[in-house]
Amino acid sequence: MRRGSGKFVAGFLALPVLVYLVFVIGPYLQAFYLALTDWRGVSGSPEFIGLGNFERLLGDATFWKAVSHHAILLVVLPLATLGIALFFAFLINAGARSGTRGVWGSRFYQAVFFFPQVLAVAAVGVLFQAVYRPDSGGILNGLLNAVGLDNVGWLTDPDLALWSIIAVLVWQAVGFYVVLFSAGMAAIPKEIHEAAALDGAGRGRMFFSVTLPLLWDSLQAAWVYLGIAAFDGFALVAVLSVNRGGPDGATTVLPLEIWRTAFSFSKFGYAAAMGVALFFLTLTFALLALRVTRRERIDLA
Amino acid sequence: MTFNRRRMLHGLGGLAVLTAVPACAFGGNEAETPTGPTGDAGPENPFGVAEDAALEVVIFKGGLGDAYATEVHEPMYAQRFPGAKVEHVATQQIAQTLQPRFAGGDVPDVIANSGTDLMDLGALVDANQLLDLTPLFDAPAIDDPKVKVRDRVVNGSIEAGLVGGKPHALMYVYTAYGLWYDAKLFEANGWQPAQTWADFDALCAKIKAKGLHPFAYPGKNAAYYQYWSILVSAAKIGGNKVLVDIDNLVDGAWTADPVKQSAAAWAEIGAKYLDKSYEGLTHTEVQTAQNQGRIGFFPCGSWLENEQKDQTPDSFEYAMCPLPSVTGGDAMPYAAIRTAAGEGYIVPSQAKNSAGGLEYLRIMLSHEGARGFTERTGSITIVKGAADGLPLSPGNKSVAAAQSAAGDNIVTYNAFENWYKELETELRAKTNALMFGRITADQFCAEMQAKADAVKADSSIPKQQRNG
Amino acid sequence: MKASQRALNGLSHVALAVWAVTVILPIVWTFLASFKTNTEIFTDPLGLPATPSFDSWGRAWETAHVGRYLINSVVVVTAATAGTMLLGSMAAYVLARYSFRGNRFLYYLFVSGLVFPVFLALVPLFFVVRNLGLLDTHTGLVLVYIAYSLPFTVFFLAAFFRTLPDQIAESALLDGASHTRIFFSVMLPMAKPGLVSITIFNVIGQWNQYLLPIVLLSGAVEDKWVLTQGIANISTSAGYQADWPALFAALSLTILPALAVYLVFQRQIQAGLTTGALK
Repeated sequence: MRRGSGKFVAGFLALPVLVYLVFVIGPYLQAFYLALTDWRGVSGSPEFIGLGNFERLLGDATFWKAVSHHAILLVVLPLATLGIALFFAFLINAGARSGTRGVWGSRFYQAVFFFPQVLAVAAVGVLFQAVYRPDSGGILNGLLNAVGLDNVGWLTDPDLALWSIIAVLVWQAVGFYVVLFSAGMAAIPKEIHEAAALDGAGRGRMFFSVTLPLLWDSLQAAWVYLGIAAFDGFALVAVLSVNRGGPDGATTVLPLEIWRTAFSFSKFGYAAAMGVALFFLTLTFALLALRVTRRERIDLA
Repeated sequence: MTFNRRRMLHGLGGLAVLTAVPACAFGGNEAETPTGPTGDAGPENPFGVAEDAALEVVIFKGGLGDAYATEVHEPMYAQRFPGAKVEHVATQQIAQTLQPRFAGGDVPDVIANSGTDLMDLGALVDANQLLDLTPLFDAPAIDDPKVKVRDRVVNGSIEAGLVGGKPHALMYVYTAYGLWYDAKLFEANGWQPAQTWADFDALCAKIKAKGLHPFAYPGKNAAYYQYWSILVSAAKIGGNKVLVDIDNLVDGAWTADPVKQSAAAWAEIGAKYLDKSYEGLTHTEVQTAQNQGRIGFFPCGSWLENEQKDQTPDSFEYAMCPLPSVTGGDAMPYAAIRTAAGEGYIVPSQAKNSAGGLEYLRIMLSHEGARGFTERTGSITIVKGAADGLPLSPGNKSVAAAQSAAGDNIVTYNAFENWYKELETELRAKTNALMFGRITADQFCAEMQAKADAVKADSSIPKQQRNG
Repeated sequence: MKASQRALNGLSHVALAVWAVTVILPIVWTFLASFKTNTEIFTDPLGLPATPSFDSWGRAWETAHVGRYLINSVVVVTAATAGTMLLGSMAAYVLARYSFRGNRFLYYLFVSGLVFPVFLALVPLFFVVRNLGLLDTHTGLVLVYIAYSLPFTVFFLAAFFRTLPDQIAESALLDGASHTRIFFSVMLPMAKPGLVSITIFNVIGQWNQYLLPIVLLSGAVEDKWVLTQGIANISTSAGYQADWPALFAALSLTILPALAVYLVFQRQIQAGLTTGALK
């Protein structure tokens, strides 16, 4: 410890730690306790039932269905978002290898792509209700009809519904990563590309053997971030899906089941147990992701 | 206080020290009688409402709007208790806004528990959170102190609010259910509501040939409009016992023949005449489509006409008809319809002014209160004769005609919708699966029976019973 | 430029333009829909309004109180982000640059908050806020926003503070400056790029927060609602009033300010985000 810094450290930490303990840690500890009770949310007497709720979870088909959807989201959301974002970032920057500002209109594209990020998710939900409307009044179906195709049940076809919702998540997220990766690519010194070009590297090789490794840190952070987002999805599913999580549970996610179990079925103890399960799932992912993607840093300095 | 509860509070106390937060108030509540400040009880003030006690009223602002509360009942209350402040909250998310307040003991005095997010009454009653409304029904009526409130309401309406064997909810609105159509459209095309299933099928075919969708219901947020159809048809086939058995979680209630026959008949209508897009549309979207002349029949309750009044073109005239008979040997005649008291109004037992809450309900049940409600909402209440002499809309006229044709052939309500939300949620999903062709009628019955069995076996869900 | 290069560039533009359309089209459609009638919206999704009318905007403004919710959102988010950045940078700084017993523990305590599902805490949180007498107040909401933004803020700012050079702080210390002064007048200015980007993250995150206000402003306080609650309410009440033009007008009313602010600060937002995230 540095000289005379004890008081300073304590003084600086006191308020943040207090606020954090009171509003975050405290409620979570209580929730962990509630997961061990049969509390129904409205009664005065939660009964301690040990691990009963967790035993029940093991046999709960809806719970496992929701978990399987998170597994899909966990793979598809980062892959699709980062894939598309890298592709666009590359297109925006590759045309500009000789210059520095990117292809013509690059600022425009970045600005447009990024915009969904600043929209409230509630607004995005209402927006996509109009896009996915299942009859001829929908934007997408209107376009399909215009070229002579039949209506598609974007959210009513159980095989398609989850993908339609994932598409919205990707739609909203891509722009941020395009901007992030573009900046990363622009920061790569020209000499590196020139040297690679002298060695005869084509566009594709340049991307995979030069650009990608240099962006690794950003990619790793993005992966963790999107992975954590894959454990949510509540707002969009609640607004867009049939019967909240349907059809036939095809789009349900854990936060929605927690919400329903607590506020609709009044089973707060059981809902808290689902929440605890969700917590450990997220935690496991975060730890794994940080471990797996850890790699030697390429230092440009 | 039980041992477990003490341990629980102790545990939370420990947490509270750890987190420097006062223990949360999972305060128990054993009282079911009015609490809070009381004034002098008397014939004019049977519950002893304190003159100056504030009253908080939470109204579900859906198809009925909330003008009936702000323009009729709340002013009436304020007039009786000029010193009292009446606070009005309108919401569409009853459960989300009120659940934490119940758990914390900070509850309003009157709640219109309605809408797609209503609260589970079984859970509330099990936790002693609701006032037993027996004193309300035994109190003198406002219009005539010699008559008890219970004698001013239509038969069966108090029973509709029984939870745990006692009236815990005031089911205020008297609703008729059936198939709704545009009388003028039908007249122009020479269509007549069908009485038998074969005629219904033929009529749907004719409507379809005209380029309309013969039948539609909102699968996205109101699949219950259609499960009502399935259950009402089942009751018409096999009698009201079918529905009572379902409410009582009787073994095999869902796999009984009448339910199977009804489900099969409706599934066929779904396969032949129900456009896939309706699974993803909300009730307002579907209702507006009907107003635009694109839908033949729409299953709904009698609030429909009022809910759509701003959207209904002059050329459109609502009318309601009974569901067609599924078999030739139905237990009930074609004319049988479901009429039921619905829209639960509740008074929390922990309310700060629960006496005022009871008084508010008594005001709702007065002639003036009920009449004002009907004037604002177009819906009839359970108060006898309160709507007499009011001009009837075309839709309400057809409902009145259907009611007199039905006579005593009334299909009973479903209580499980309020008692067992889990079963109800499952039924919405399975109804869509059935109607949009993903499962057969047999699967529908088997899967619903499995869910009912699971609810029955779940010791954490308090069980309810009704006799008929 | 070679022909193949030019063709590639052309294809690039096609791909980029297609995505741009997917972003712009629904938003433009929303604006147009607000001028249509119900029938037009339902039956002719791609058509233009026959007789454009501003009525729906009037109805939306009146019934949706967009103006008031907007101000509430601005007030809450400004206070909450300011508080988050102050408390977050203080904690992050100390955790990143001072070694003391419990440092690791506190750091992980904060960071673990990143993976807590908010749903788990909702009901107990409600009691905490209620017992402090802060239910249905903006103060309560602001404190909760701050608390729930700390994990992310501390995580990223700590990483940022670690990368700052030691020499300047050391020499200031030798000159007799206090730790507090060094923090405010030396370290914070050096950390500005990181602070800017985390600020933007927090503004966006808190602006879009939806669950917390619904639970914490659940009483008879409609005048205190924030914009996301307003949108949710508009969307449900449109469900009961069948007034879609007003719904889309209200939606446009919420998108427009976001768009305006975004267009004005677009460069700063993007620059801020990327400096922070690239470190």
